[in-house]
Amino acid sequence: MTTESLAARRTAVQGLGVIGLGLAGLAAVYVLALDHTPVERFQGLPQKIFYVHVPAAWCALLAFSLVGIASALYLWLRDPRLDLFAESTAEAGLVFSVVMLTTGPLWGKPVWGTWWTWDARLTLTLMLFFLFLGYRALRGALQDPSERARFSAVVGLLGMVLVPFVHLSVYLFRTLHPQPIVLKPSSPSLPWEMLRTLLLSVGVYTVLLFGFVMTRYGLGRLDRAGGGDDAR
Amino acid sequence: MPVDPSANGGYMVAAYVVTAVILVGYAVSLWRKTRRGRS
Repeated sequence: MTTESLAARRTAVQGLGVIGLGLAGLAAVYVLALDHTPVERFQGLPQKIFYVHVPAAWCALLAFSLVGIASALYLWLRDPRLDLFAESTAEAGLVFSVVMLTTGPLWGKPVWGTWWTWDARLTLTLMLFFLFLGYRALRGALQDPSERARFSAVVGLLGMVLVPFVHLSVYLFRTLHPQPIVLKPSSPSLPWEMLRTLLLSVGVYTVLLFGFVMTRYGLGRLDRAGGGDDAR
Repeated sequence: MPVDPSANGGYMVAAYVVTAVILVGYAVSLWRKTRRGRS
């Protein structure tokens, strides 16, 4: 076994440790959200979906932004580590997108009366999800590593361009989706008991994102070093 | 208008279960891949 394989495996194992920490944090978020956070007066219990949905959206958009940055840097520096980082982060971003796109309708049905509506925020989010599914498919379809890295970097960069539109869509278009209540110019419009739970959840999800990317990056390195099964 | 606080709890439960299944499921898949790489 080469030094590169050992280092890659160590990165993956360390990533698993971070994921373990994140999952323990997720359990704490569940207890805090379900048992120690007040029920909102107008929406009732479905409002608590907010504590699992909003952090998933945050992590998905953060991941896709990082993919775009890594892709731009790859096109400039041609460092294969940046390509691998982009690939790992895109996969984690897709996982959080699935959480976002399933918990959103579960909130929408009792509160809006419909599972889905084709308004700007929801449609743009779905487009972003499909764009990164396409990114994955493209990576799987191209055999030449340099061609794969170059083409997917262009798609990753284009995906990042959509991210600000997703965030600002609630201001730019008439939409049913609630406006930001934390990431906005004025102070957060949320009671402390709710804000505390949300911030903890955002922190825990971010730790999970970091762990997912780290593990996936280690597995990718291991694969490229020829010391493990294909992580894709 | 304020709602019955216990109404529609099933949607909340479903969202929390789905979230845990997706995140834990992905974590387990990464763990299995790491373990396979080790063998």
